[in-house]
Amino acid sequence: MTETFVPPLLPKSFGAGVDPVSRAAAERRKEEWNAAVESVKAQSFWAETGKRFLRNRTGVVAAAIVVALALSAILAPLISPYDPLIGQPVDRLKDIGTPGHILGTDEQGRDMLSRILFGGRLSLLAGFVPTVAAAVIGTLIGVVAGMVRGVVGTVLMRFMDMLYAFPAILLAIAVGSALGAGLTNTIIAVTIVFIPPVARVAESSTRRVVVQEFIEAARLSGASRARIAWSQILPNVLNDIIVYASGLVGVAMIIAASLSFLGLGSAPPAPEWGYMLNSLRGELFTTPLVTIVPGFFIFLTSVAFNLASDALREAMDSRL
Amino acid sequence: MTEIPENTMINTTEPGLAVAPPPVEPPSATLPERPLMELLNVSKTFTVRSGGKRLTLSAVDGVSLRVREGKTLGIVGESGCGKSTLARVITGLHSATSGEMIFDRAQIPATGKRPKDVVQQMQMVFQDPSSALNPRATVGESIAFPLRVQGMSRKEVDARVTKVISDVGLPASYSGSYPHQLSGGQRQRVNIARALALQPRMVVLDEAVSALDKSIQAQVLNLLTDLQRDYNLTYVFISHDLNVVEYISDEVVVLYLGQVVEHAPAKELWENPQHPYTKLLLSSIPSMDPDDSTRDQPLDKDSSEIPSAINPPSGCRFRTRCPMAMEICAQQAPAPIETSDGHLVACHLYTEGSQAAA
Repeated sequence: MTETFVPPLLPKSFGAGVDPVSRAAAERRKEEWNAAVESVKAQSFWAETGKRFLRNRTGVVAAAIVVALALSAILAPLISPYDPLIGQPVDRLKDIGTPGHILGTDEQGRDMLSRILFGGRLSLLAGFVPTVAAAVIGTLIGVVAGMVRGVVGTVLMRFMDMLYAFPAILLAIAVGSALGAGLTNTIIAVTIVFIPPVARVAESSTRRVVVQEFIEAARLSGASRARIAWSQILPNVLNDIIVYASGLVGVAMIIAASLSFLGLGSAPPAPEWGYMLNSLRGELFTTPLVTIVPGFFIFLTSVAFNLASDALREAMDSRL
Repeated sequence: MTEIPENTMINTTEPGLAVAPPPVEPPSATLPERPLMELLNVSKTFTVRSGGKRLTLSAVDGVSLRVREGKTLGIVGESGCGKSTLARVITGLHSATSGEMIFDRAQIPATGKRPKDVVQQMQMVFQDPSSALNPRATVGESIAFPLRVQGMSRKEVDARVTKVISDVGLPASYSGSYPHQLSGGQRQRVNIARALALQPRMVVLDEAVSALDKSIQAQVLNLLTDLQRDYNLTYVFISHDLNVVEYISDEVVVLYLGQVVEHAPAKELWENPQHPYTKLLLSSIPSMDPDDSTRDQPLDKDSSEIPSAINPPSGCRFRTRCPMAMEICAQQAPAPIETSDGHLVACHLYTEGSQAAA
């Protein structure tokens, strides 16, 4: 089970010496024992997880891509060659690899690279914020439902099931069109779509954890239910939720892109990737490669997040 | 209703005496030692839904027992007899359906939150060393949790944790380890350390050694007896393993299907078992001597499985498996009778006026 050496239990004494020789021997035994004990010293759970994650090459590459995308979005004003919103119609639909426009230009002559960089800000926001918000709210609902059970728990979870029954995109469209266009409303819509699945994961995890004996031991110490939920249940449940939620980021981006595609998300001329996909749709047969560029970046982000999430799951689950 | 006979010892010592004088030999039941905890006719039922109908499962039925301070009470029974439920009722994890519990001469409320000092004085060690520890918390954090809940300061918590870890024979540096880095015996020591952290007076051990290898069992049992001596602990030791119970107990209670069938000092129970179920249990202990087969008791009833607690047999619950069942056993549940000093049996064979041989 463990690869490290487990030293024997504390000896009664290391020996005392009446003469220097035996005293030195006793000292040596004590040092050996201390050294052996040091080797079993545990690292924090996250430190061990981090080490295991770094051994997974796919995960490291995927995580690097995610970080690169995020950085390029943050640094967009600095590295973008052109203004994403201004273009000359005479430059329209240049192909990939045209000198001066590496990724080509769109149908209004705006540089694609600049638009991708600035669009990343909107799309990554639309990916992260709903995921984090849904994780927090969904965990709260799920843990409460799993701990309390009974009528309250059942009502909560059946309500979640009701929302979960809708296909995600359909629900997002319904909420989006009710709220109106704009990035904020997109974020709200995607959050609502994600809360039920996170709540389900949280609730099933909580049910599994709550029957374990260490929860009974915690009750025996007189802790309140809230305290048990926070300090005992949550750390055990959080891992499943983190792993599930990190896979949701890519999905959030795709849903936001779909909403933009349908005109429910960011308004023009904001360079949101999904909107770009929509506006370039007509030119698919003229300059197919330029048309595909925003779609490619959506795909790249989603795949990178998924692979990183898989690697994270592997790193967290070994030995437990 | 089951009554405790008049001449059993309850609360007969002088009030000032907190601890019984250390005995030179195993004490007889007439030594007046103050009971630390008493259960009076405690019952626990669960409602079970089966196929649309609501059924009552009687897990613990009319159990009365006494635990003397500084002593070990062993509770024996097979799986399904309600030992674990009884342990949880005693410690308050389940609330008793009826009956009274008295701890240190004050009554414990049957439902609702227990007062803080009762919580602190009564702790429990669980059976499965792995699931009894939070896998995401270090050993030190697991042990410190009850202390922090009770409101101790950081320094006090650290000092207590270090002391308690070394008490159970683990190096102090183990407090930074995670449960999955320890062996089963070490994890169980951590469980014991956690139970001791609050410095309780009574510890309930629910099958505390059952999940361990025999050699580790011996180590942990010796640890438990050392701790009992050092800290004057009172143990309620629940187990299905008769050898272990014999080794560690001063008094033994035999439980069958939620009821007490026999209660006697340990030595007396092993030398002179009276209830047919006790005799059956003792005869089922495998013997190392190949010639020793005379302890086989005939089980001449149809089923050797424990009956269901939802629909227990009428009268005496053991009658379906008892080789000496009589007519009266189906009609009336036997009340506990004291046959000799401190030896209680619930069996019609010993009721006054019956003509069965002992």
